[in-house]
Amino acid sequence: MPSDLIWVESLLYRLITAPAGVEEGLAQEQSLTSGGLAQVIAGDARLSAAERVDIYANMYFYRLLDVLKEDFPATLAILGAERFHNLVTGYLIEYPPAHFSISYAGEHLADFLRDHPLRDEFPFLADLARLERALIEVFHAPDATPLDAEQMRAIAPQDWPLLNLRLHPASRILDLRWNVAPTLHAVAQAEEPSHPPREDTVMLVWRNHNRVYYRALDAAERAQLALISNGATFAEICEMIAAGVEERDPAIAINQRLETWLRGGVLLPA
Amino acid sequence: MKREDFPFLGFGVGLRRDHYVHILENNPPVDWFEILAENFMVAGGRPLEVLDGIRARYPLVMHGVSMSIGSTDPVRRDYLHELKALARRVEPAWISDHLCWTGVGGRNLHDLLPLPYTREVVRHVAARIREVQDFLERPLLIENVSSYMAFNDSTLTEWEFLAEIAERADCGILLDINNIFVSAFNHRFDARTYIDAIPRERVIQFHLAGHSDHGTYLLDTHDHPVRDEVWDLYAHAVRRFGAVSALVEWDDNIPEFERLMETANRARAIHQSVQAEAPRDAVRSHLG
Repeated sequence: MPSDLIWVESLLYRLITAPAGVEEGLAQEQSLTSGGLAQVIAGDARLSAAERVDIYANMYFYRLLDVLKEDFPATLAILGAERFHNLVTGYLIEYPPAHFSISYAGEHLADFLRDHPLRDEFPFLADLARLERALIEVFHAPDATPLDAEQMRAIAPQDWPLLNLRLHPASRILDLRWNVAPTLHAVAQAEEPSHPPREDTVMLVWRNHNRVYYRALDAAERAQLALISNGATFAEICEMIAAGVEERDPAIAINQRLETWLRGGVLLPA
Repeated sequence: MKREDFPFLGFGVGLRRDHYVHILENNPPVDWFEILAENFMVAGGRPLEVLDGIRARYPLVMHGVSMSIGSTDPVRRDYLHELKALARRVEPAWISDHLCWTGVGGRNLHDLLPLPYTREVVRHVAARIREVQDFLERPLLIENVSSYMAFNDSTLTEWEFLAEIAERADCGILLDINNIFVSAFNHRFDARTYIDAIPRERVIQFHLAGHSDHGTYLLDTHDHPVRDEVWDLYAHAVRRFGAVSALVEWDDNIPEFERLMETANRARAIHQSVQAEAPRDAVRSHLG
């Protein structure tokens, strides 16, 4: 392993990712001799050594900024370009990309926003970013053939009670404190987004025929899907649905719920 | 590796998301596509569905941007596992990545950074290419990158560096004609000297793309048409290397698909016209 190469790659990494630019990064640099960067990188009359490294520093930041703008369009719309730019500057210091795929660049943005000063003005922002990130995760999540009505019919009715179900891997249940879905929807429709109301909301994000959807869940359906994600049997799920209906026929309630899930493709046979 | 082990695919274009629907609905007459491997190194969903649909109709080549073959970090096994799994699915004509480093210390810059051109680095990179080729059980093509900085420690030219690594690693070369043009301007070398020094039997693919002019330097942006000077350089490369599969890349300000096809067809026309020169040259050389 060439030790000089380790040193030069590490130096360039620090300079390219220096938050206030290459010059400021150079001022902090302890490892360079008095000859400075020009000892390492060849400059000329057209571009100095630092200006050449600066080309890479700009590409680093703006490539990631573009990716995050694309991945978090509603967060961007709420904040505006300048505040989003500053947010990304801080985010990349805290969470520099480590994965080989750039699509993971935004995986920690919601966590970063949770304690960010922007929270004072936009307390819903972490929830909004979390929903946006979930859409991406579900888009790329593993394939699996969901249980459909035809498959259910093919199972003998006496075997239904012990049938184990689970949630499709391309689904997420998000417990949010703000009802951010209308904000996301408005941005998707190219409308002016409004600030969401403070309202505990559970969102289901799922993929069906390779399209990603999201909708709010009520407390009952949230509990039922939680039961399914723990590997419950069909009988246990039916019991829970039946216990929740007051004046309606439990069979109708079970049927309706099952139809929604089968049509949405959110269930898998365990 | 032997050049004859690689098929001549003709004139292709880089597969980009903007064109998925158009390609699947219209089956445009393109010779082949190159995919960006990382875009399809996902667990499931729409990208893989598109990939399978396109693979069923066209030859594909896998082109990566994250192998970081010049890094001093260990070669990432998780990356190689996913790359190999994708190759099993795609059965590409070949796999390529860049002669560069993209990160260090477990961090990723998501950019293609140049290396010091020294014999020590030649040995380092060549050993890593061999490691990758052993793991993938197939030869790798390495691509020359555009660069904006050069190292005072370099003792070799870029073309010597590329050629020596390819020989030592016994790998193929993806020669990016635009990158040679861009780097020739940025570092003031002669692009034809570069092309003339690359071993003929190792060049398996060409890249063609546009760049942007920033006055003091050229930037490899893939957002413009291929410049006439790059077409001239391509013709020069075809004269030297003969029938090499060529591919048009366009990554930003992506035009309609027809525009990409026109560009691929221009590459074809230049190739054919250079090939037509060959007998005359041969006669001249015989008489001379």
